[in-house]
Amino acid sequence: MTYRLFVLDVPENVPIVDTARKEPSVQVEKLGPYFVLASEGSVEVDRRATGARHAVWYSWVGGLDGWRIEQWDSNAFRLVPR
Amino acid sequence: MFKLADKHLVRGVDHAAFPTFDPVATVQFYRDTLGFPVVHSICAAGWGPENHPDFIHFFFDIGNDDRIAFFYYFGLPAPDTSRGKGDVYARFDSDTPEFFVRSRHIALHVESEEHLLEYRRRLDASAWPVEMQIQHETIESIYTHDPNGYFFEITRALRPVTPQEDLDANLTIDALVDILQQPGASMDALLVRKAELILERAEKWEQEQATERELIPSPEGPVRR
Repeated sequence: MTYRLFVLDVPENVPIVDTARKEPSVQVEKLGPYFVLASEGSVEVDRRATGARHAVWYSWVGGLDGWRIEQWDSNAFRLVPR
Repeated sequence: MFKLADKHLVRGVDHAAFPTFDPVATVQFYRDTLGFPVVHSICAAGWGPENHPDFIHFFFDIGNDDRIAFFYYFGLPAPDTSRGKGDVYARFDSDTPEFFVRSRHIALHVESEEHLLEYRRRLDASAWPVEMQIQHETIESIYTHDPNGYFFEITRALRPVTPQEDLDANLTIDALVDILQQPGASMDALLVRKAELILERAEKWEQEQATERELIPSPEGPVRR
């Protein structure tokens, strides 16, 4: 089962997507103006590694397909299968 | 038959109106500190079926021919602002969350960081200094409270808005309207519904954008290049 997260392609979100892209299990593709982050398991993004400021970090997620958000705080964003 | 039926016709804020119990400080804030010209005022005797006081209705230019307006009613007692939160129009218990009290506010637009910082300079030299300067997702804002307690923001865009943000906003709102048909609405439900809408519409939207970019104006309307 492949799970997907959608992220709007705007400049603020690109460093976050690039951070997630470094995870070997994460595939990044495009669907229209959205990045599609896909994986078959859990995924974690370290907030500090993204360099995202507060407002961007708490608003970068566009849509969830199969995953649910287990953690979304000042340390990390963690997706687990629903 | 209704030739304007599909047109977006309004042109900004004509005026947003607020009561004041302190017109002197209100003039000091908007005219003397911020430099907003007084552009209109009405001195009116009380009228109507109720016991309406005499009043002054006065307007400041907030740019773009838009205006912020105040009502001062002679003899109307001011609310007690020594306890609780809020402004002279809306008062809240002291345990009301700050995010809620601040959620209703006015934000004026400036074109650049230089212009934002000029208003910061004017406010910081006054009795109403800037309380916060924050970079949000795509805007940067300064905040203070005006003499009436109204939460007041001046903001600039950090970059131009992109077309895909309009699509994304519409998908968010359609998802929100959809999930609110069921009880138990949550951010999780919204993001799940929004993913469905992204799958339905995102690719088609991009194709339409590409087609629009290929069109050029002509006397008969847009045509392909």
